[in-house]
Amino acid sequence: MKNKFITAVIAAGFVASAGTAFAETIKVGYMTTLSGGAGIIGKQMKNAVELAMEHKGGKLGGMDAEVIFVDDQRKPDVTKQLANKLLKSEKVDVIGGIIWSNLLMAIHKQVTRSDTLLISSNAGPSPVAGSNCHKNFFSMSWQNDQTPEAMGAYMNSAGVKSVYAMAPNYQAGKDMIAGFKRFYDGEVVGEVYTKLGQTDFQAELSALRAAKPPATFIFQPGGMGINFVKQWKQAGMDDVSKLYTVFSVDGISLPALKETALGTISTQTWSPDLDNAINKKFVADYKSKFGGYPSFYAAQAYDTILAIDHAVAKSGSKDTAKMREVLAAGGIPTTRGSLKMNSNHFPIQNFYLREAVKDSDGVVTSKIIDTVFEDHGDAYAQDCKF
Amino acid sequence: MVLDLFKKFTTLWIILVVLAFFPIFTSTFDLPFWNDVVMRIMLLGMAAMGLNIVFGFGGMVSFGHAAFMGVGAYCAGISQYYGLDNGWYQLLMSAVSCGILGIMIGFLALRTSGIYFIMITLAFAQMLYFFFVSLEQFGGDDGLIMDRSDFIFIDLYEPLRLYYLIFFILAAVSIMLMLLIRSRFGVILQAIKSNESRVEAMGLNPLKFKLTGYVISAVICGLSGCLFASWQEFVSPDIMHWTRSGDLMIIIILGGLTYVAGPLVGAIVFLLLEELLPDLLHVVFPSIAENWMIIFGPLLIAVVLFGKGGLMGVVGNRFTRPAARKDQ
Amino acid sequence: MTLTLLLEQIFNGLQAGITLFLIAAGLTLILGIMDFVFLAHGSQVMIGAYAAAAITIATNNFYFGILAAIPITFVCGYLLEWLIIRHLYRRDHMDQVLATFGLILFFNEAIRIGFGPAALFTNFPSSLSGFIEILPDTPYPVYRILIILVGLLCALGIHLFVSRTRVGAMVRAGASNPEMTAALGINVKILFRFIFAAGATFAGLAGMMIGPLTSVEPGMGEPLLILSLVVIIIGGIGSVRGAFIAAILIGLVDTVGRVMLPMLFKTFMSVSTADTAGPALASMSVYILMAVVLVFKPTGLFPPKGA
Repeated sequence: MKNKFITAVIAAGFVASAGTAFAETIKVGYMTTLSGGAGIIGKQMKNAVELAMEHKGGKLGGMDAEVIFVDDQRKPDVTKQLANKLLKSEKVDVIGGIIWSNLLMAIHKQVTRSDTLLISSNAGPSPVAGSNCHKNFFSMSWQNDQTPEAMGAYMNSAGVKSVYAMAPNYQAGKDMIAGFKRFYDGEVVGEVYTKLGQTDFQAELSALRAAKPPATFIFQPGGMGINFVKQWKQAGMDDVSKLYTVFSVDGISLPALKETALGTISTQTWSPDLDNAINKKFVADYKSKFGGYPSFYAAQAYDTILAIDHAVAKSGSKDTAKMREVLAAGGIPTTRGSLKMNSNHFPIQNFYLREAVKDSDGVVTSKIIDTVFEDHGDAYAQDCKF
Repeated sequence: MVLDLFKKFTTLWIILVVLAFFPIFTSTFDLPFWNDVVMRIMLLGMAAMGLNIVFGFGGMVSFGHAAFMGVGAYCAGISQYYGLDNGWYQLLMSAVSCGILGIMIGFLALRTSGIYFIMITLAFAQMLYFFFVSLEQFGGDDGLIMDRSDFIFIDLYEPLRLYYLIFFILAAVSIMLMLLIRSRFGVILQAIKSNESRVEAMGLNPLKFKLTGYVISAVICGLSGCLFASWQEFVSPDIMHWTRSGDLMIIIILGGLTYVAGPLVGAIVFLLLEELLPDLLHVVFPSIAENWMIIFGPLLIAVVLFGKGGLMGVVGNRFTRPAARKDQ
Repeated sequence: MTLTLLLEQIFNGLQAGITLFLIAAGLTLILGIMDFVFLAHGSQVMIGAYAAAAITIATNNFYFGILAAIPITFVCGYLLEWLIIRHLYRRDHMDQVLATFGLILFFNEAIRIGFGPAALFTNFPSSLSGFIEILPDTPYPVYRILIILVGLLCALGIHLFVSRTRVGAMVRAGASNPEMTAALGINVKILFRFIFAAGATFAGLAGMMIGPLTSVEPGMGEPLLILSLVVIIIGGIGSVRGAFIAAILIGLVDTVGRVMLPMLFKTFMSVSTADTAGPALASMSVYILMAVVLVFKPTGLFPPKGA
């Protein structure tokens, strides 16, 4: 019932480009979830990639470029088949994208083994950062544990003595709580794993009201975040406990939460108000072209294209080994400023504390209120030997 | 005997021959990717054929057979996790585990019938699904990265080795099914579907036959899952999600559930549509290419409304007779 | 775990169960009387939620949104029966599964094209956002109490209708013996269409009411469909009374189990084991319940007489 399709998109710019007789074309396969419930995330990422290509005049590092979008349908076997298609049929030079950890795990081995660069725009599970790492893999996002680590560290500095933690009962949820606990020094008075895809949290909120913890830490991505935050506010829980979130209140859920989300705190590596030239241009053009703020998914997708552009421009070729060398050296210009690279090819970057606020037009968005970590690397880099 | 099987199951033989020579086609036209598509078709087709023993021939609508694929896949994944790389051993493990599980689930589930049977099989599949999601050591729902299994003398990393391994197991399963359906057991199973009490009146115990059919189908799904793990080089609970059980049912109904070849035809059409419909839409109506399911859904309804007995029935292959006619 | 918390959780379970009942009531009749496996019933929930949300957003009036959405869902159900479903009654279950699965795909994509893939923003009016003290020091949201009341009212209405009216008698007859009912000369066609549209309306109403609590998005009906199928099976196909009791049972087991199981496990096993086993078992709880019921009562708890 699910499947894939190709949207061959940005044709290689201006056909008779500046006179080189042997004009090379770099082919990028971009995989994301375009159909089904998570289609909205993929749509934003696709928008951002198209915007990046437009900003680069249809070229990457001065080389003619073609981006092929494929829809992974959030299914590991479909993703695997698409990766095969991109590698064997389309013969792409780089594969980018991937929202979900399990999909990245499903194709990681195959793509990296085929001597093709694999650049994740979002997923960052620990096996790929540690013992199963590969030199051909790069992350343009973060390792899963890092964002909750930042929240743990912030809550220490804010003097929060005890917390109630809540996440869906699946691997990412457990990783998030583990990451949080790694940095949080206070007492975790309750650790609750909700059902994956749960829509009604009233029972958990009742239990929470009875426990009266001073602080509540949640990870409820996607629709679960919308439901949780909505019901939290509706139940008047703000009077009982203070809510700290990761990956629950973002550019995807804010339009469905609107004023309900105001004041909610989260940690993230990116924010629409991040003050640098690349980000300002990205956010402004994204808003005017697609209407509405981009999410962090979109920013990371945009950065993925910028990274490829940087690699080609600096190495002057689309050769995997040469591009790899450039990317591994870091200094990649992105919406998050110049990005450093760790030894396991995950970024070393800042983590910010964000709050949901209204902008001058009355639209609810996120704003940076503090920097929690500067140049923070992940915990798994030491296990990674190429 | 062989000639007889050939006459009765022409479509299936034709498909097997085409599959056997398909790699020649792909290498001639340099389309290696299509080997991969066809491997997935063969694997899901094999699972669907297994399911069809109970579903089409036994009239037991099991909504949980993806669970057996999952157990088969995890037999490969977990064995390898503990260093047992031998693929033949893993296949055996899958068959044995699914057989035992099939006996247990089948014994409880077969107390019910009709829609109640659909739901109780779903219930057991969901329990297994959540069980594997909670197995943190094996990656939970993030899954377990693995290598292709080590089938002694067959290096699956060599081109086409995996293709032919899957093909030969599929062919073996197909031939076994042809014999099974025409055996005394097969005839009784189909008789139970059309009139259970008559079979009982003949002094036979229908439960025994239904349970045997259920276990055989579970084992075939397990083998398919075990190979699926090698194909995907990855195992996750996603392989046993209830929507895959649904897919298997759709594949069978689409192909024609009273035919041995039906599930294979269904898998070919279903997965090729998935593969090609979006590309096609992209050419015709680019604006809704991402919403290809809006075409796919009504297509399924049309097959039901305007065709009887699935695609095999619609095409009405004159060489192929239904192995059992449905009592209307 | 205090007694008040337990009572509050029972309230939560009641609210979840009532919502499930609204969805299951129509479906159990469709399955029982028409012997029709209708998988797209979850789409009716989605249609109701979208209709109410869209009209609420357009008119900025929550009550108007609900009032306008009720006839819309009725008409949708009526048209669906007339266009597609009535052609499928005589087909076997497999064909019905395939066709109604196709309908799910169609409805989800149609909504996605019409309203976009993102969740719709909805909230209930501030007049309903207060709390009532159901127990001393235990405030409970007014809106959720309202859901319970509306649900109970609907349940009472359906019960009176089925047990006291002439049409209801036909429905009961149909549930226990469909062929015989047709032979008695009852106009089965009209009866079926009416039941189908009414079932769609109740499912839609459930969608409208949970819309402001959860995210209104494409595919929101499918998890509810599975749960309401569980309800119907436990209750016995075709039995409205069975569906009511099973829905409350499932609501309670799911809600209370989710919160209590991990707590219970922590009393006799290590915290980390309990954190793994508790939620895993809670996820399975409704399925375990269904399997156990079916093993001992293969046609559900309250099969209609004569079935």
